[in-house]
Amino acid sequence: MAALPRESTPGYLRLLGAGLTCSVLALGAAQAQTGTEPAEDADAAAAAAADGQTHGQRAAAEAAAALAAGEADEPVILKAPAPDTRRVYVQDPAHFAAVTQQYVIDGASGRVLGMTDGGFLPHPLAAEDGSFFAQVSSVWSRIARGDREDYVEVFDSETLRPIADIAIPDDAQRFLVGTYQWMNALTPDNKTLLYYQFSPAPAVGVVDLEEQKFDRLLDVPDCYHIFPASPTVFYMNCRDGSLARVDFAGGETEVTNTEVFHTEEELLINHPAFSLRSGRLVWPTYTGKIFQMDLTEEGVNFRPPFEALTEAERADDWRPGGWQQTAYHRPSDRIYLLVDQRDEWRHKTASRFVVVMNAATGERIDMLELGHEIDSINVSQDAEPLLYGLSSGSRTLHIYDAASGQELRSVDQLGRGPQILMTHDMGA
Amino acid sequence: MNSAMTFRSALAAFLLSAVSATGAFAQDRIAVLTHAPVAAAEVPADAIVVNIDKMKYDVPELTVQAGDTVYWVNKEVMPHNVAFKKGIVGDGDFRGEMLKKDQAYAITFNEAGDFEYFCTPHPFMRGKVIVE
Repeated sequence: MAALPRESTPGYLRLLGAGLTCSVLALGAAQAQTGTEPAEDADAAAAAAADGQTHGQRAAAEAAAALAAGEADEPVILKAPAPDTRRVYVQDPAHFAAVTQQYVIDGASGRVLGMTDGGFLPHPLAAEDGSFFAQVSSVWSRIARGDREDYVEVFDSETLRPIADIAIPDDAQRFLVGTYQWMNALTPDNKTLLYYQFSPAPAVGVVDLEEQKFDRLLDVPDCYHIFPASPTVFYMNCRDGSLARVDFAGGETEVTNTEVFHTEEELLINHPAFSLRSGRLVWPTYTGKIFQMDLTEEGVNFRPPFEALTEAERADDWRPGGWQQTAYHRPSDRIYLLVDQRDEWRHKTASRFVVVMNAATGERIDMLELGHEIDSINVSQDAEPLLYGLSSGSRTLHIYDAASGQELRSVDQLGRGPQILMTHDMGA
Repeated sequence: MNSAMTFRSALAAFLLSAVSATGAFAQDRIAVLTHAPVAAAEVPADAIVVNIDKMKYDVPELTVQAGDTVYWVNKEVMPHNVAFKKGIVGDGDFRGEMLKKDQAYAITFNEAGDFEYFCTPHPFMRGKVIVE
């Protein structure tokens, strides 16, 4: 073996750390990542930081010490820590690949806690109370051809084992589309999963999670997305510019439409933010006009819309853009929107800035510079939120202090084209 | 060898005819003269026509007699078609070919009934043919 170059020692440790990482991953356990250490290991983290060590380097040192002390290696399958408000799920649609993956990440430490596999364009969902997470997925008998099977899969939050596998009938197949965060939803009581069907006619599939069975397909008007407001009422956004209220209690389907709330020229993006806990729906247009509604079982309260960008900024080509462009922090009633200077029809390219707004007044609180090409954002729903910025291009999750915009840590190697960020809103 | 080939050929012919019979049965309630679209100029002058324009069927509800043929003519560059959900015109579903601008598609309705249809890529475009 050739002599190691002078600066090879850290590299050697990194390699050792990477080797251990692979071993740990193979056991279905947490993957070591660079960045701040988990809270429970605060002392060790401080020591590691003082040494300039990454988590992988520290794990390598610990393993070497254990070996030197004669401790036996006893491989086990680990459990993820109990979910909290800073857990974040990163779904990777992988540019329309037939199989996909989701990464379960501790935002506080920047560590991958586990992974789940999915089929073609699966739709991820998370119970707000952290009790489970789920996905609606599609597989084929010969990878990307043959017999198609749609299904709902429910996972235990800590073991990540599937605890339910519910078949969707052939005549009730789901909409295959680039993943939109609210095209499928859980009802607030977590007892029902609702998914959208585009063809042959707009419909919403009802899956009974308690009984673990497909219930029925609801005929709905020409409307899209699903925003539940109660166990049996949800809203959709319709082609005619209104919202539809759908009540499916008692085996019936009753549909009513609200007033038209936007014009044909006001193009609402595919990625509104919605709080299942508060019922707030935040829906930007291509130009950054923010529509807000409060959805209750009874009806909709439309709030006065406001502009996220100033007239001067809009004149200077500032526009929202990316994939999951909108985030809403329920406890502080703040809206976060991805923006940058761009051509009008480059609305799906990445952005480098986030505008922070007071949702009640429309007042701008801050404009944060992210320092990276970011496609999707979300926030943790705790009192001092983390801002998650996901780059599909570099396949990296950047984690910021949402108040200051300072980048705290990052997690890389997240599949091939990660796009969706999902959290648990575990507050009251 | 020859007899084996003959048997195989006969079996294949039988299977093909069974498939054809099933297909014909599945679309018994309608007949399609040609699955390929035809030029709008070939539509007979006295034909029953539903024009497609501005993302709509211009006669969303049309009443005809059993045996009548309905022509759909696409007047815009956005491609459209005529499709029926499972169980409407037969046991299975039916998907007409996509029509480009100034192309037509003809369906003969053989039986009385209500035939709801839609455009495959634009499910919000819907129409109905009532056959008396």
